[in-house]
Amino acid sequence: MPYPELFTWWAATITWSIVFLTLVSIYLYIDSAKRRRQPGQKDQGTGKLVSDFVFVWILLGLLILYILSIDRGSAVMFAIGNVVVEVILLAYLLKNKAPASE
Amino acid sequence: MKQSEAYEALGSSKNGLSEQEARHRLEIYGRNELPQQTFSELRVFLRQFNNPVFVILGGAAILAGFFAEVSQSVAIAAMIALSVALGFLNEYRAEKTVQDLRRNVSIKAVVTRDGKVSDVDAALVVPGDLVSLYVGDIVPADMRVIEVKDLQLDEASLTGESFPVEKTTDPLKLERATPQQLTNYLFMGTVVAHGTGKGLVIRTGKNTEFGSISKTLARPHPETEFQIGIRKYGNMLITLTLFLATGIFVLNALVGHPVVDSLLFSLAIAIGLVPELMPAIVTITLSQGARKMADSRVVVKRLVSIEDFGNMDVLCTDKTGTMTEGNVALDSYRSLDGGDDPKVLCHALLCNSAVVGERVVGNPMDSAVWKYAINNGERDCVKPYTILDTVPFDYERRMMSVAAEKNGSVLFITKGAPESVLARCTRREVKGEGEPIGPTLDSIKTRVSEYSKAGYRVLAVAYRHIENKPSYSVDDEEELILQGFLSFTDPPKKDARQAIDKLRDMGVSSKILTGDNELVSVKVCEDIDVPVKRVVNGADMIKMNSNELRGAVEEATIFARITPEQKLEIIKALKANGHIVGFMGDGVNDAPALYEADVGISVDSAVDVSKDAADIVLLEKNLLVVSKGIEEGRRVFGNTIKYILMGTSSNFGNMFSAAFASVFLPFLPMLPMQILFMNLLYDVSNFTLPTDNVDEEYIQRPKRWNIDFVRKYTLFFGPFSSLYDFLTYGIMLFIFAAPPALFQSGWFVESFWTEVLVIFVIRTRRTPFFTSRPGKWLTVLTIAAVAFGTAVPFTPLGSFLGFAPLPSEYWILLVLMVATYLLLVDAGKVFFYRICKF
Repeated sequence: MPYPELFTWWAATITWSIVFLTLVSIYLYIDSAKRRRQPGQKDQGTGKLVSDFVFVWILLGLLILYILSIDRGSAVMFAIGNVVVEVILLAYLLKNKAPASE
Repeated sequence: MKQSEAYEALGSSKNGLSEQEARHRLEIYGRNELPQQTFSELRVFLRQFNNPVFVILGGAAILAGFFAEVSQSVAIAAMIALSVALGFLNEYRAEKTVQDLRRNVSIKAVVTRDGKVSDVDAALVVPGDLVSLYVGDIVPADMRVIEVKDLQLDEASLTGESFPVEKTTDPLKLERATPQQLTNYLFMGTVVAHGTGKGLVIRTGKNTEFGSISKTLARPHPETEFQIGIRKYGNMLITLTLFLATGIFVLNALVGHPVVDSLLFSLAIAIGLVPELMPAIVTITLSQGARKMADSRVVVKRLVSIEDFGNMDVLCTDKTGTMTEGNVALDSYRSLDGGDDPKVLCHALLCNSAVVGERVVGNPMDSAVWKYAINNGERDCVKPYTILDTVPFDYERRMMSVAAEKNGSVLFITKGAPESVLARCTRREVKGEGEPIGPTLDSIKTRVSEYSKAGYRVLAVAYRHIENKPSYSVDDEEELILQGFLSFTDPPKKDARQAIDKLRDMGVSSKILTGDNELVSVKVCEDIDVPVKRVVNGADMIKMNSNELRGAVEEATIFARITPEQKLEIIKALKANGHIVGFMGDGVNDAPALYEADVGISVDSAVDVSKDAADIVLLEKNLLVVSKGIEEGRRVFGNTIKYILMGTSSNFGNMFSAAFASVFLPFLPMLPMQILFMNLLYDVSNFTLPTDNVDEEYIQRPKRWNIDFVRKYTLFFGPFSSLYDFLTYGIMLFIFAAPPALFQSGWFVESFWTEVLVIFVIRTRRTPFFTSRPGKWLTVLTIAAVAFGTAVPFTPLGSFLGFAPLPSEYWILLVLMVATYLLLVDAGKVFFYRICKF
């Protein structure tokens, strides 16, 4: 592997950027929940949390794909992985198609 | 100076100047405009340098010249020149457009030339012109008074004096007189508060009293919510940039990178972070919006008000011309017996503030009385009378009075709101005799209510015989004899309901602010089928404290019998409740409310002072026109926000990852010149953003500038861009074993693609993003910019900038990676807009 001394730094950086994005998402989610919570309202179930954070699960999947494919220097693995993720994202977007009017 | 001397000194006469002489003088004295009203190419050009980014860039060019390479210095200077040229060209076109539009609502002056009276653009008035003045006119130049009829001027804009000043034609014998002492002189910019007159123009433009001190007198408009938002956003960016640039410089120097390289790199990052084109983009977006609004017969006088126009959620408007046709006509002039009585009409003609000359000018009801009399040959009845004195109308008394003399006896006539006049009547006229009013007062009030309920606007006429004396006052308005009533019609407007519904659907609630009584106002609303939630009248308002008023303004649909001061209070209360308030008015007394509202809207037919105070002028008084303007305002806001969100997300993410990488990489991830080049290309690609389409659902509701939203947006979407930058670093380092030039090329292309293409995702809230159609020119220029950026590493320019050609495998990975990035950001939108509302 070229530049082997930089790999750990790179892996840490890309991991940190995804962790940061996840933390920001959690912060925004909690902030929003606090603002909207009505008195006496119950907490949302785990199922709702899982579905609300779908894109975070995709991010974590991407992290694994990127670190593995680049660690192995495999452009093919990187390309196939991206195509699979794109299909998943497209399906997710079509399922969550924003209404034509708000 | 005597009048004759004034005519002689100015080479004029009672017939005014000749057209030929006026044209000649216009060439000598120039247009009658103040310097800040004129459009200057030089000012637009110099304004391009009023930008801290160019100071940073200039500093960077000098530093590069001294410590690095001259070629780098030249390249940075070329980028400055290109940015200035782009900014100048676009802002010049934008300002020119606005200037041309403003000419549509230029103030007119009634000028006598060659003995003929005509309306001319006030900017074309020259010394020696003879100008006629009417109530509500803004005096177009400094003038010697030639003729007066109860002429009173509001000179507050010049002297601060809040009471109108009476003007005379008498010569003055004063040395070094103050403006207040010059009672035979009219000052440019002051307003005719009462009466009529004529003036001989002495000085124009910057030579006038107003011109010499206009800079200090200019009444600043309060900052719009949009301007406040932009300022806060700018402060946020400057703080971020300072922290980041300083941190990068220190860290790079600490890890052993050359100090000059570190400094230039941190400066380049700072430049990359600052959206230096924002002023130009905002101006272009606003001017394009102004041009489109002009197509809908809406002329924008103050460009920055467009955003607030789009975002306003309450529109306060008068009734005449919006709910009604605005054609007030006299319907009847009845005595208490019930039939039309010529004496009632004659007294209404005498007690009348309308000015009858070449045209009838004045308030709609007084004008309607005169127009009726002229059209029906009834005007001669006033000939035997001489008006001795007038007690003018005011909104407290809601009536006016005159003392009229005929054959040695004096009649004191009062005309006004029935409830006000009735309160001062002790008798009523029955067959020419005065009888006590008491027993019939209730039936008279009932009759007035019936008129009002039927939709008529009613005025009462009363009189008394009075002794001849030097002057008369409100104290004489007592022990009157009620003579009869005048009723007026103003048919309901057919499309008013449609307009109100359209505004409501767009999230704008309409409130009617009227001087009429509540019965007439409710009847008009019933006629056009507009639901009325609550009516508040002026008398009730006086009793309310500020909290009660803040509650009332939320509930009420109609505010009846209110004074101009109360209009101001209503607007302030609505603003205090957090609304963005539009006020539509065209009267002399509407100017303060037009200033106070977030968006002051007037109409082309309004009096000068009202048009002058307004931000927006409608060429047609119609609420449907307003709704079209609101739609355009929302489009403008939408496109401005897109630029801001672009800058704070992908652009910010790119600069952040560059800064981060510079500390750990053994070489700079991108050279300063490369960053500046990318920044310039990115800026160019953004120039068509103002022409982009805005989704229909976006313009359905008013939006508010929300800095908290922008912060959250940056925090959430910025890291997406950084993530893909880090990924590119990995690909270039570990798959392609890239040396510095190749690494920089790879990252330049990826960074540019993501930075530019993400506009297609960010520009819409729709998911998937491709369900929203972008503007044609935005698509064309973005694709062209991407193609150009892609080709650069393969060109001599690329070599000059330090790039190297990229291997073909890289392009496959890049396409896949960028596609994933765009879809991921789109998926992020689903999450983000679920929890962050804007």
